Amino acid sequence: MAEITFDGVTKIFGDNIPAVDQLSLHVAEGEFMVLVGPSGCGKTTALRMLAGLEDITAGSLSIGGTVVNNVLPKDRDVAMVFQNYALYPHMTVAQNMGFALKIRGQSKGEVARKVGEAAAILRLTEYLDRRPKALSGGQRQRVAMGRAIVRSPQAFLMDEPLSNLDAQLRVEMRLEIARIQRLLGVATVYVTHDQIEAMTMGDRVAVMRGGRLQQCDTPQDLYDHPKNDFVAGFMGSPPMNLLRVGLETTDAGVALALGSQRLAIPASYATSHHLPRVDGPGVVFGVRPEDVEVRDGSSADSLTTRVERREALGAEILVHLSLVDVGGDNAIVVNDSGAVVARPTKLVAKMGPRSGVSVGDHLDVRLNPDHFHFFDADSGLSLRRGV
Amino acid sequence: MSTTVTTTAAPVFAPKVRRMTLKRRRQFAGVVFALPAIALVVCFIGIPIGQAVYYSFTQWNGATSTWIGPSTWTQAFHNTNLWTALRNNGLLLLTVPFALALPLGIAVLLHQRVAGWRIFRSIYFLPTAISWVVLGLVAERFFAYQGTLNSIIHALGFSHVSTNMLGYQSEALIALGITFIFTMIGTNTMLFLTGLATLDPSLEEAARIDGAGRWRIFRSITLPHLSRFVQLAFVMTVIALFSALFSLIFVMTGGGPGYATTTMEFLIYETGFNQGDFGTAALYGLILFVITGIVGVVQLRLIGSNE
Amino acid sequence: MTTVLTPPTESGSHKEPPPLKPPPRRIGRWVLFGAMIVVAVIMLYPFFVMGVTSLKSESQFLSGGGFSWLSWSSLTSVIPVGQEVLSSTIVCSSSIFIILCVGLPAGFAFSKLRFRLSTVVFLVIVSAMMVPLQAILMPEFVNVTKLGLTGGYTGAILVYAALGTPFSVFLFTTYFRGVPDELIEAGIVDGLGYFGALWRLVLPIAVPAIATVTVLQFIQIWDDLLVGLLFIQNTSDRPITVGLAVLAAGRTTSIPELMAGSIISALPAMLVYLGFQRYLVKGLTMGIDR
Ligand SMILES: Nc1ncnc2c1ncn2[C@@H]1O[C@H](COP(=O)(O)OP(=O)(O)OP(=O)(O)O)[C@@H](O)[C@H]1O
Ligand SMILES: [Mg+2]
Repeated sequence: MAEITFDGVTKIFGDNIPAVDQLSLHVAEGEFMVLVGPSGCGKTTALRMLAGLEDITAGSLSIGGTVVNNVLPKDRDVAMVFQNYALYPHMTVAQNMGFALKIRGQSKGEVARKVGEAAAILRLTEYLDRRPKALSGGQRQRVAMGRAIVRSPQAFLMDEPLSNLDAQLRVEMRLEIARIQRLLGVATVYVTHDQIEAMTMGDRVAVMRGGRLQQCDTPQDLYDHPKNDFVAGFMGSPPMNLLRVGLETTDAGVALALGSQRLAIPASYATSHHLPRVDGPGVVFGVRPEDVEVRDGSSADSLTTRVERREALGAEILVHLSLVDVGGDNAIVVNDSGAVVARPTKLVAKMGPRSGVSVGDHLDVRLNPDHFHFFDADSGLSLRRGV
Repeated sequence: MSTTVTTTAAPVFAPKVRRMTLKRRRQFAGVVFALPAIALVVCFIGIPIGQAVYYSFTQWNGATSTWIGPSTWTQAFHNTNLWTALRNNGLLLLTVPFALALPLGIAVLLHQRVAGWRIFRSIYFLPTAISWVVLGLVAERFFAYQGTLNSIIHALGFSHVSTNMLGYQSEALIALGITFIFTMIGTNTMLFLTGLATLDPSLEEAARIDGAGRWRIFRSITLPHLSRFVQLAFVMTVIALFSALFSLIFVMTGGGPGYATTTMEFLIYETGFNQGDFGTAALYGLILFVITGIVGVVQLRLIGSNE
Repeated sequence: MTTVLTPPTESGSHKEPPPLKPPPRRIGRWVLFGAMIVVAVIMLYPFFVMGVTSLKSESQFLSGGGFSWLSWSSLTSVIPVGQEVLSSTIVCSSSIFIILCVGLPAGFAFSKLRFRLSTVVFLVIVSAMMVPLQAILMPEFVNVTKLGLTGGYTGAILVYAALGTPFSVFLFTTYFRGVPDELIEAGIVDGLGYFGALWRLVLPIAVPAIATVTVLQFIQIWDDLLVGLLFIQNTSDRPITVGLAVLAAGRTTSIPELMAGSIISALPAMLVYLGFQRYLVKGLTMGIDR
């Protein structure tokens, strides 16, 4: 068991743009670290460098305090679970699991004992003599896990290990993997682009984009205090509503200008955030769909909207709203860093399954003032003080 | 303040251990693993090609070689035997359509999946396993004066007609060609059958629903699908024609009567080992190399176009 | 299009040939069946001739009638069948062993351990498949003779190995391209070096490809005449195919005895063929239907 430290780790393939750019990340002993990000953001590359399957272009990578940049994979003592499992087709489940121990010269009895233990943990005991071909997807996945855990390695590396499973198995294995990891207490780096996995499994979650680390925090912190608009938009489903708005002074203090409508900002935000000056370039305002509530009658803290579309998901309804009487354009605006920051007049609200809204209704909605987010209009960085 | 070090410039690098990078290691292993194969091919195929070029300009009997220069080439091209051999190869090319069409028909037959088609398939392919030496021996018996061919002719009532194809300059090549077609049937049928097996049956069904007849389906769907296999079979057949007839000729005719069945490859053997003229034989080899090289390029194109 | 020779993956399952077509009409079916019988008779003709002729004595053969075991009982005194089959076996197995030992790692290298120029080198080796031995026969013969390798089997074995290597490199490379990289990487992370990966992962996974190369090369080498004829100098070391061909070309041996010898020579290759038909087809169509 050991900690893992990425220190300015960079990977450049050929002479193109970096696939991983100055990644600095610390994974503590026993910690479950999830790497998330959109496709092509360098998650797999980061993991492969950690496994020793890919050279490190710059920076230093250490496992258990030892720099491993030039250490061979076999001497790193890490175990990896591949997306397609990469089970050895010519070996039985038991042989697959015991292989790493066998080549490390452990005795037959020792190998059998460890394989037996791991199989018991993974409920694979009755399949030990089967070939991978004769296993279901979920069972194969567990064998891949088993191959990793028998080794009691310094670290587990997992690259989207659940993405080949159906939805139900995924939920099951998600819990399973988290349980086993806690049980064994081995530092784990887990790559996924499923944010539910990220939120539910990780002690901490590292969000990457374009090879760069955006934010690394506990799932709740990440959700509650995204460091920039990208993280805000990436985490959460449906994503946070991000609106590019102006700021104005009203009788009650500072307010957001959404077309002709005004939304008061609680005074506390002036101290907790670096809000830009009034009548300036404006900010990107964020509010999560679950913080949009229906209200009877309009008031200073509510907005008048029209229901454009509703998507019933069973347990909840997603209601797409457009602000009434805003003027201006409806276009989606993309900021410099590529995130969709402003659909200036659209909001998505998450409502209870019994809310009887229908398309065309006019709704007054209140945005929960405790959970406003503000981001710089240009850089996309959070305006919260002290971050 | 002399000990102040700027730490802002770059992250502190680990002491550089001078070892091969992972990529280098992988490449090194790759080179090591590929080396025996490369060595074998270079020593036994690559170098001899170079030597053949050199020796083609010499008077060479295997032990000593004297440089003569390009005149060996002009001499060779004045040699009627070379032209006879090339002509024989050229005439044998006429067998290629048969060596393709017959197997194609047989493959289509097998593909109908009549009762027992698996057994028939095994039977059809069986001659593929036996040596062309043996097939040549059998063919020799077939065409001989006392052979099966004459028995058949007599049985058909033409008792006054008798053939001895291998004995006559004008007919020996035909006998050789027929034998060649026979020997190619197994391999080519196998190719076409595989091609047919990869044909999506729903295509044929769709055509049948559209009202296409059997012949129409064969023309418009089956044959186009098989075209790549036909191309490959063509190339393989032509290459066999230039480089695999040796066994047949050796046991059936010995190249004769005269030079009537001497093809390029047999001429090389004959010139080198019966006449002891290694230089000219090497030169003939080069000519053969160029011919098969051209066919080979076509073949590589075919393989390459799929990758 | 499906890969003809599919490496085993944990999910790989073999596809059966497409479902049978609806049976053709009655009369049509009998016509088809008749045609297939005719073809079968033609293809079986060589075996028929060999069998029947070998069961006659020389005089019976000339007169046409009767049966006799004479040619079989005198076979070993006319043709040293035992010795020749032994020679064939030695030459075949040694060459195939070399072809596999050389082709397997090279295929691994060209597919998974690519180095600078590896693609070019691969293409050059593969194009050597197209070089007929006759084209380089003279220098080859002189080289091997000068190295003193024509005394025993060594020369022939090396020439066969060299001629078979391009195909085996091609087949193994194509085969390994179908094996996911992760499989090897999993082994590397599990603690294997590249040699370990070759020996403990690549080799066992490649069994179907090994079988294909073995079967094809066995038939090729067992049935070959030219190399055995020229690169094995001692008459007593001759492989059976060469022995037969020389006797046949000499036109002094009795035909029934030659046919008996032919049957002996044909048997091993036929057995291998019948046992491993599958691999033969795979090897032949390798590379075209990817
Ligand atoms: N071997 C390689 N050679 C060149 N470029 C590569 C290589 N491997 C990855 N890349 C590039 O590096 C970038 C990061 O790739 P990576 O596989 O790490 O993404 P990822 O985050 O794992 O994406 P996904 O979620 O789709 O798996 C991509 O732009 C990819 O094209
Ligand atoms: Mg990935």
